[in-house]
Amino acid sequence: MVTQDDNKFNKNIILIIAAVIIFIFLPNFISGYYIRIFTAIFMYATISQCINLMSGYMGYLPFGHVMFFGIGAYMSAILMKLGLPVFIAIPMACLSAIIVSIILGFPVLRLRGHYFAIATIGMNGAIMTVVQNATEITGGARGTTFPIIMASPDVVYRYFYLAMLFLMVITSLVMYVVVNSKFGYGIRSIKANEDAANSMGINTTFTKVTTWAIAALFTSIAGGIYGYWMSFIAPDEVFDLMFITNSIIMMLIGGAGTILGPIFGAFIVETVSEVAWSGFMQYHLAALGIATIVIVFFVPRGVIGTITDKIRNRRIELSKKAEVTNG
Amino acid sequence: MGLQMFVNALLLGGLYALMGIGFSLQWGISGIINLSYGAMVLLGSYLSLIIFNMFHIDPFISMLFTGALLFLLGAFIYRFALQPLLKGGIVFTLIVTFAIRLIVENIILLVWSADYRTIRVSYAGSNFQFLGAFFPLTKFLTFLVAGVIIYLTYQFMTNTKIGKGIQAVALDKEGAMAVGVDDQKMYLINFALGTALGGVTGTLWATIYSFSPHVMDVIIGRVFIIAILGGLGNIWGAAAGGILLAFVETSGAIFVGSHWQEAIGLVIMVLVLLLRPHGLIGKKFFG
Amino acid sequence: MADNDIILDVRSISKHFGALKAVDKVSFQARKGEIVGLIGPNGAGKTTITNLVTGELRKTEGEVYFKGINVSRMQPFQIARIGLTRTYQVVKPLQGMTVEENILVGSLFGRSDRQNDLNHAKKTAHEIMELVGLDKKKEFKVSDVTLPDLKRMEFARVLAMDPEVIFLDEVMAGLNPSEVEESMELVKNIRTEKQLTIVYIEHIMKAVMGISDRIIVLHHGQKICEGSPTEVCDNPAVIEAYLGKKYAKEVIKS
Repeated sequence: MVTQDDNKFNKNIILIIAAVIIFIFLPNFISGYYIRIFTAIFMYATISQCINLMSGYMGYLPFGHVMFFGIGAYMSAILMKLGLPVFIAIPMACLSAIIVSIILGFPVLRLRGHYFAIATIGMNGAIMTVVQNATEITGGARGTTFPIIMASPDVVYRYFYLAMLFLMVITSLVMYVVVNSKFGYGIRSIKANEDAANSMGINTTFTKVTTWAIAALFTSIAGGIYGYWMSFIAPDEVFDLMFITNSIIMMLIGGAGTILGPIFGAFIVETVSEVAWSGFMQYHLAALGIATIVIVFFVPRGVIGTITDKIRNRRIELSKKAEVTNG
Repeated sequence: MGLQMFVNALLLGGLYALMGIGFSLQWGISGIINLSYGAMVLLGSYLSLIIFNMFHIDPFISMLFTGALLFLLGAFIYRFALQPLLKGGIVFTLIVTFAIRLIVENIILLVWSADYRTIRVSYAGSNFQFLGAFFPLTKFLTFLVAGVIIYLTYQFMTNTKIGKGIQAVALDKEGAMAVGVDDQKMYLINFALGTALGGVTGTLWATIYSFSPHVMDVIIGRVFIIAILGGLGNIWGAAAGGILLAFVETSGAIFVGSHWQEAIGLVIMVLVLLLRPHGLIGKKFFG
Repeated sequence: MADNDIILDVRSISKHFGALKAVDKVSFQARKGEIVGLIGPNGAGKTTITNLVTGELRKTEGEVYFKGINVSRMQPFQIARIGLTRTYQVVKPLQGMTVEENILVGSLFGRSDRQNDLNHAKKTAHEIMELVGLDKKKEFKVSDVTLPDLKRMEFARVLAMDPEVIFLDEVMAGLNPSEVEESMELVKNIRTEKQLTIVYIEHIMKAVMGISDRIIVLHHGQKICEGSPTEVCDNPAVIEAYLGKKYAKEVIKS
């Protein structure tokens, strides 16, 4: 029996596939400048999905999460310098990030709330300093380079545009599957009430560490692709907390605790930033700040979150009415 | 450690102590991680700069004014931007304080640009000798002032009605409310006090060092470590944390190289969080 | 007491907070299918004992055996997965989730030796919701639900875990007399239907006396009496600590 829910689900799938197809062919119609903007949007959407998984769904805000972005970037650079092709270097960099997240995760995820957030900032700073000082391996504070890609800029831009697009799509799909699975209920229960979650049989330690590993996985790939895209990275750039603060704002504006939220949020924030930068460059910081405050106050559930709430409330209203007329 | 290095570290420690206490109070008692704290400190610096340039008032005097002004600003921010969001968890207040920092940064950039500034008082270059070490006058005055203010803050917290009210809500919110203490009012005054201390720190900073918007990040990095070392909300803990950090930085720079000194501070902070979340000096409360 | 009937064996557990002995060498046993009432004045240690048994609080000393297994060092989630569960005095609903989702979490993660993938768990959750009378409100967010329904939901949640032993911690608190009646009926029926063993922690004398097979009385962290409801009411130490002669006699008469 095909239910109303099934029909809606199918409709949504078709819309999403259509959107992805449009984006795949979009570079043929826009200039390199816009291609680069979209690439950045896809990258931020990916990172935002990871922050969303940790914070929006699980209630742990990893403020220093950019450490995995930096690890992804640097490990990719180092491995490629050793001669490995990009399709091996980046996955291996990703693996190293996952290992780090598991080793650090066990002690640090015992902390709650503020303490967890700050500990991750500390860890990020410590890792960045190590990178800044291990000059032989990492090139030190002055940064390091990636192998140059032998191709025309147009081709290169599209290459990275598509790479980031697919990363964003795959990340979002994985997040969707995880969040709606049994494991996902474990994640959400931790945010809802961690003590109750424990007493209901959820292995919260395992859940937290695994979730952070998933978040580290995709963030590190984003870092690797970013590094290769920029062909030059420096420690204070790829370990910069600004990546995370931007991602948090995108997550809030789009809607924390939803899957489409971070994607919409990335589009909205980047667009506003671009407009502010080119239109009112002198005021762009204040514009972002004010916009953030306005959103947090008036649309706390974000764009997607507010829409989802409205749909759900309508459904409850309708079922209540049905009960009154039937019962 | 040579005597001069000891003196340098100690004088720096006074400034760090004052700086850390404001942030620690806001986080530990009002429950707000104030990412705009660095911006507040800098506002103190820039405001004293204007007052010095326009009215030729010495910063050690104008700091009273900047302190008062930043107290009011802190109260305003808490009441209208933070208090309404408290039930949303740490994400909202964190991001709002970050947004405020962006706005303040933008204002500073517009008015003063990114150039480094400093307040050059007439006695800036003087120093005196004591027991074989040089004491730069401005650093020494800063140390004294910081000490006095920290002491006064402690007196305020323990010997005034409001101060005791703040302590009460920090220790036992329900109990305090049961005897008629207005918890939000206490959190507000505490938060405003934190901003004020930050502002005064900014003024003092301006007499010794140069400053620009970039310094905001340096400050935030330091105060996180100081607050955690000393235990959130603990005045003497933060003071000790500030001095400790100053010593680690000063000696680290000589022994280990200035690159690693930041890592040392961060590693210590992370270890403290993992092993003694209530700080090296703070007290453990039985749950 | 036949030994192979004993499903829960609490052996001399204690909890010290510094010099304060919140629980002092308390021992008791529960047989399969029993309702054991656990009573005592405020601060007697009832909830602390629950927390010690489920592993949420670390024991200063003592051991707990469940179905013959030593669970003294196990983590709370492991204990829950083998069928030893509890509800909370102050309800702990999963905030931001619906009634249905709350109960679903119970069926997903409770007893591990059963099929608890998403599909099976959803079926179990629906059955429990109907059993308890919450299916009309399943889409409600917990923030929109009244306290009696939250209590019912928490009970449903723990039932969805397919437990063998439940510590019901002051499940009547905050309910009016008719709600108390309803609740008592529900507990009795479900106990019989699902062959549960219940440790019933309660203040409201009428509820405990009317439902328990056996009663354990705590005072200042120590067990001061154990027996049938009538035996306990006649015990002078208990009366002195807690009941008050007049009220005790009244309850026995009814």
